[in-house]
Amino acid sequence: MDAKKERSVSRLREEIAMFEPILEVLKLAPGEMGNLQTFIIEDILDSHKKVIECVEHEKPFLASQFTNPVEILTAMDIPWYFHVAHQFMAGGTGGSPHTIEDLEEMDKMGIPSDCCTLLKLLLYYQAAGLLPIPTAYLALTEPCDGVAGMHSVFMNHPDWRGVPVFAPDPPYHSDERAVDYYAGEMKRMVEFVEKHTGKSLDMGRLKGVVEETNKGYAMWMEYNDLRRSVPTPHSYVMPMSCFYLVNDMGAGDPAKTKWYQDMVANAESRVRENRPEVKNQRIRLFWYDIQPMFFSELVPWLEQEWGAVIAMDMVSYCPYELIDTSTEDTMFKGLAKRAFLHGPMVHQARGLADNVIHDITRIVKDYKIDCVVFPGHMGHKDMAASASIMREVCRDLGVPFLHIGMDVCDKRYTTVEEIKNKMSHFFTAMGLG
Amino acid sequence: MLKGCVTSGAFERLSETASTLVNPEMRRWKEEGGRIVGYFCSAMPAEMITAAGLLPFRVRATGSTGTELSDSYFSSINCSFPRHAFNMALRGEYDFLDGLVIFNSCDHVRRIYDHWIRQIKTPFVQILSLPKKAEDAQVEWFRDELSILRQRMQDHFGIEITDARLREAIALHNRSRRRLKEIYELRKGLRPPVTGAEMLAVTVAGTAMPQGPYSSLLSDLLADLAGKEGRADYRARLMIIGGLLDNPEYVSIIEDQGGLVVADSLCFGSRTFWADVDENTHDPLTALAQYYIADRPSCARMYTEYPKRVEYIRNMIKEFRVDGVIFQRLAFCETWGFEQYSLTNDFKEWNIPLLCMDREYVLGGIGQLKTRVQAFLETLGR
Repeated sequence: MDAKKERSVSRLREEIAMFEPILEVLKLAPGEMGNLQTFIIEDILDSHKKVIECVEHEKPFLASQFTNPVEILTAMDIPWYFHVAHQFMAGGTGGSPHTIEDLEEMDKMGIPSDCCTLLKLLLYYQAAGLLPIPTAYLALTEPCDGVAGMHSVFMNHPDWRGVPVFAPDPPYHSDERAVDYYAGEMKRMVEFVEKHTGKSLDMGRLKGVVEETNKGYAMWMEYNDLRRSVPTPHSYVMPMSCFYLVNDMGAGDPAKTKWYQDMVANAESRVRENRPEVKNQRIRLFWYDIQPMFFSELVPWLEQEWGAVIAMDMVSYCPYELIDTSTEDTMFKGLAKRAFLHGPMVHQARGLADNVIHDITRIVKDYKIDCVVFPGHMGHKDMAASASIMREVCRDLGVPFLHIGMDVCDKRYTTVEEIKNKMSHFFTAMGLG
Repeated sequence: MLKGCVTSGAFERLSETASTLVNPEMRRWKEEGGRIVGYFCSAMPAEMITAAGLLPFRVRATGSTGTELSDSYFSSINCSFPRHAFNMALRGEYDFLDGLVIFNSCDHVRRIYDHWIRQIKTPFVQILSLPKKAEDAQVEWFRDELSILRQRMQDHFGIEITDARLREAIALHNRSRRRLKEIYELRKGLRPPVTGAEMLAVTVAGTAMPQGPYSSLLSDLLADLAGKEGRADYRARLMIIGGLLDNPEYVSIIEDQGGLVVADSLCFGSRTFWADVDENTHDPLTALAQYYIADRPSCARMYTEYPKRVEYIRNMIKEFRVDGVIFQRLAFCETWGFEQYSLTNDFKEWNIPLLCMDREYVLGGIGQLKTRVQAFLETLGR
């Protein structure tokens, strides 16, 4: 490989080198949760290795946005990576040695400071040559202005200008007409991938993949039902892994379905035996945004200091439906709904604020929520403009509401200490915990 | 100092219309029993409203002095335009509206709809789904959106929006576009008879008065400008680009420093009239959808269109002999924030001098604006 290609996979290699020893230790002494955790880490590392292999051997692969249907890509046997997830791997564990230097380099690029850091960081990775250049690129025009703007900048980078791009364009409405339109976008996406990778979509294979992912989604729904229990069975890592696992490599893999079954079994036994992972739970909160990269510095404190557990969060709560695999049409409609109506962020941020009202109302009731916390990532301008509606719904439901205001990637915006102070004052003022 | 150079009765009327929220034309329209439908984005086919016999009014927050009421609804990381506009709505200053059409234009403006339907008693409020791509499927989708809007307007206002009426409205709006373009092109000369601030006032006026009288005023203005020459003592010829800018005073301040604004790519500016709606298309709704999604110079939210937008700007620079470009952006606008980054890189490569400035909707920080423009003019060697 030439130096440019080698650099483009260097972060993937670093992460593999960092996580493999952790994996070995976990395997030696897995404990009750260890097997579930090792599977997730192995899955991420396997996906890294597949992308590296594609770069090394010049095999076709894609870069994609997190809600583009992985079932289709799996059925087409084309590897991919989610560039927007890059920040959350080593960085998300708090273990990346690069987080601060990356943010500082990003600051020098001259993108306005009020634009979403999550996306600016991604543009830094691109500018620094730290993203593998794919055979073709699947972008997305939603769920926010920043995402569409970021993709536009991506396409303008000298090294990426020659990369063919297709961006499904989710409609703002959520009715049947919108589903039909977006199913059409999915079909056009397939045509695009076929044209640029030489792969083709076998409908029988797609049916098999969707049926397998349906099993995973069914278990995920069951798992979310178990999270209604008081006390809630798990801390935050397992629940938040659900989405990433179905969206990472190998959708439709029976091993993943087995992982969901094991997680549900573990949660069931914890509920049955009143043996929650987090002891002394006193506050059940709904975290209504994506998780910050520094969550591992915050959640243990919440659990230990305040007995506060995240009973539900935005990424885990998505009102998925199982897909009818009886015809090609029902499959594409089902995949379209999963992609633009149900997935995290596109479900909440795209479309009317009614989605916000619906989510909060259902979750507060179903999950016996004591308070709703809106972290308010600085990139989520539409959600910031909905905060008053969130507050009003919470007031009607009689549940305290906290709007923090933070940057999920950058602790310099609101420090962890400031966040802790805000939450402590809030819990105290509301008589919680 | 480059004070305005137009002396024309027509211009005076247009300028007054641009500088006030409820102008004499609108007042007269209401007094005569006319109804007004507001809209928030230049992607709204105003032809549809005109065809219904209603007055299209592009919502501005002209004259706003605060956000004391809307701050309960929008946050500090939201753009100041929706905050000012919604503040005025809460104060009842848009009570003259009989209807309102909103798009998912951007993350800030689309939330106006959510608050408006809960807080403001406008009888007819609709939201349309505006695509972010400009391909055939998106034109077709938008055509259907317009068809639904037509039906709902017919049901609510009790009027029929026939294809024939739509065609008439398209022709009427096209006539205004062509006249605007004729006036605009007078600025190619070395002594343009209109300044940038005056031109912006003329285009803004067209979003707040009936198209018939507007088109006539443009004809009068053209006649008044015939053979006239403006000042030649400017230091540099500038182009101003970006999103929403409806305040000619902002441009005046730039021009007061000696930079004459001879061209723009703004959503109250040339992008609204540089191309025409096709009058020969069999289906007028398809013609409107094709124009508003694909044919007109696009806004940064149309994400696949960056190369065309840049080409548009570069052509303008060439045709209007522009020395430098000023990019203005409302703070917290991500759509134009990311565009700014691409433009900065590309302009550097092409050696096009560029000044990027953030601003708030209501004019402020004038001292800083003056200083930065003066420094920019210095860097241009003028």
